[in-house]
Amino acid sequence: MEKIKKFFKYDNVGLLFALPAFLYMLVFIGYPIISNLILSVQDVTVRNLAKGDKNFVGLGNYMTLFQDGVFRTTITNTLKFTVFSLVFQFIIGFALAVFFNKNFSFAKPVRGLLMIPWMIPMTVTALIFKFMFSTDVGIFNYILRSIGMITENVEWLTNTNTAMWCVIFANVWIGIPFNTILLSTGLTTIPQDLYEGAAIDGANGIQRFFKITLPLLRPTIESVLVLGFIYTFKCYDLIYVMTSGGPVNSTHLLSTYSYKLSFEMFNYSMGSAAANVLLVILLLVGMLYLKITMKGEEE
Amino acid sequence: MGEEKKLNRKKNVLFCVISVIVLCIMLFPLFWILVTSLKTEQEIFQIPPTLYPHVLNLKSYAAQVETGDFNMFRAFGNSFIISVGAMLIAVVLAVPASYAIARYRFVGRKAMLLGFLVTQMLPVSVLLTPMFIMFKGMNVYNTWGSPILADATLGIPFSVLILKNYFASIPKELEEAAYIDGCGRLRAFMKVLVPVAKPGVIVCAIFSFLYSWGDLAYGMTFILDQQKRPITAGIFNFMGQYGTTWSYLTAFAIVTIIPVALIFIFMQKYIIAGMTSGAVKG
Repeated sequence: MEKIKKFFKYDNVGLLFALPAFLYMLVFIGYPIISNLILSVQDVTVRNLAKGDKNFVGLGNYMTLFQDGVFRTTITNTLKFTVFSLVFQFIIGFALAVFFNKNFSFAKPVRGLLMIPWMIPMTVTALIFKFMFSTDVGIFNYILRSIGMITENVEWLTNTNTAMWCVIFANVWIGIPFNTILLSTGLTTIPQDLYEGAAIDGANGIQRFFKITLPLLRPTIESVLVLGFIYTFKCYDLIYVMTSGGPVNSTHLLSTYSYKLSFEMFNYSMGSAAANVLLVILLLVGMLYLKITMKGEEE
Repeated sequence: MGEEKKLNRKKNVLFCVISVIVLCIMLFPLFWILVTSLKTEQEIFQIPPTLYPHVLNLKSYAAQVETGDFNMFRAFGNSFIISVGAMLIAVVLAVPASYAIARYRFVGRKAMLLGFLVTQMLPVSVLLTPMFIMFKGMNVYNTWGSPILADATLGIPFSVLILKNYFASIPKELEEAAYIDGCGRLRAFMKVLVPVAKPGVIVCAIFSFLYSWGDLAYGMTFILDQQKRPITAGIFNFMGQYGTTWSYLTAFAIVTIIPVALIFIFMQKYIIAGMTSGAVKG
C-alpha cells in the first residue's frame, strides 16, 4: 500500500487522470486492431462468425487478395484519388490562403464562411455532388451544354472514364477549406519585414514567394500534405454514397472494397486483410506525421 | 506576427469583390440543394433550370412524416442522441487525460501520446468488423449504444491533442495557489483549471459532436433497425430503396445540415480555433 502511495505521489499522479481515456481507447481501438489482425489470418465468413471453428489460414487471405485483379485496381484507384485530390486542393487552398492573407475588409469574414464545406457531413456532400453530376438534372451538364463545351449530356457517374474525376472533384471541394485555413495560419507567422527588406533589395513578387514564403512555410506545408494524405487515403463515406465503388469498380478504394468484402459479401477475413493493407500504408506515411508532431513535443 | 499593410481603397474594393465571387462559387452547391429542396419534382427537371423555386413546394419536408417511409425528424433525433452521447463520453474522458499529459511526466506518457496520434490515422474499415463482433457480444448491437461507443473514439484523440495545449498554456502558479488554499489535486483541477480551459473544452465538444454527426459507417453497420438509425444512414438507405427522388433527398440534406449551420453561426471562432490547431481531420 505504501509503495503504491509513493508511486503516485509525484508525476505519476497524472496516470490516474489519463488512464480512463487510455483504457477506453485500448478497449475500443486497441483490441479491435489486434482482433482484426487475427481475423485476417483466419477464414471467417458469415457461416462460422458465431461458432468457434475458425480455421487458421496463415497469409492465405493476403495471397488471394494480391492475385485478385479488383484488389489491385483498388490500390491504383486509391493512389490516383489521393494524389489528384491532394494536388488540386493544395494548389487552390494555397492560392486562397495567400489571397485572404491580404488585408482587405472582407478577408476574415469571407475566409470564415469558406470553412463551411469542410463541416458538412460527407454523406450530404456526396449527395450534393451526385445530384450536380447526374446525367439528366445535373447542373454541370446544363452549364457545359450552354457554353457549348458538350453537345450531349455526359453520364459522369456511370462512365468508367469520368466517375473517378467526379469523386476527386467532390473531395477537393471538402479539402480546400482545410488547406486554406492551415496555410493561412502558417502565412501569418512569417514576419512582414522580411518581405519589405526583399522588396527594397529589388526582389519581385515571384522571387519573394519562392525565396521567402515557400522555405519559411515548409513545416506547415509538410504537415498539411501528410495529414491530407492520411485523411484522403482512408476516405470512405464520400465514395460509398456517391458511387458505391462503381461503375465496374472504377472508383473502389481500399476502404470501400474492404467494406464490401466484409459487409456485402460477408467474407469477414478477406475484408480484414484488405483493411490491414490499407492500415500498413497509412502507418508508413503516418510515421512522417509522427516525426513532425513529436519533434514539437521534445521542447 | 506578420500583418500585411492596409491596401489602398481601390484595391480594397477589388479584393472584396473577388472574395465574394470566390465565396459564391464555393458555396454554390449548398445554395443549389436548398433551392432544389423547395421545388416540385417537375420543376427540378425543367430546362433551363430555375434559379429559385417558381412554385414554392414545402411538401418534401413534410411528406416523409405523413407517409412514414423515412421519418427524417425521427432520424434527426436519433443522430442527436448518438452525437450528444459520444460527445459527453469524449469530453469527460479527454479533459482529465489532456491535463495529465500537459502537466505530469508520468510513466508511459510518451507512449500514450503516440497512441492518441496513431488512432487519428486509423481507417474505419480496420475497426468495423471487430467492433461489430464485440458489440454483438456486449449486447449493444442494434442499439444507440454501439455508435455512441464507437463515435467517442473519434472525439477522444482529437480532444486530448487540442486540450493538452490549452492546459500547458495555463500558468503553473494558478494551480499552486489552489493547493496553498487547501485544494486537493482533483478539486484544483475541477474548480480552477477546467474553468480556465473552457474555450478549449468547447472546441472539443463541438468537434466531437460534428464527427459523430457526420458519421455514416458506424451508424449504418451497427444499427439495422431503420427506426433507430442516424439520419446519415437513413439518407443512404433511402437512396438505395427509392432511387433518386431529388426533391426528397435534397430536403433530407438540408435538415442534416441545420445543426452544422447553427454551430457555425453561433460558434464560428471555436471552429476556426479547432481547425487551425492542426489536429483536425481533413
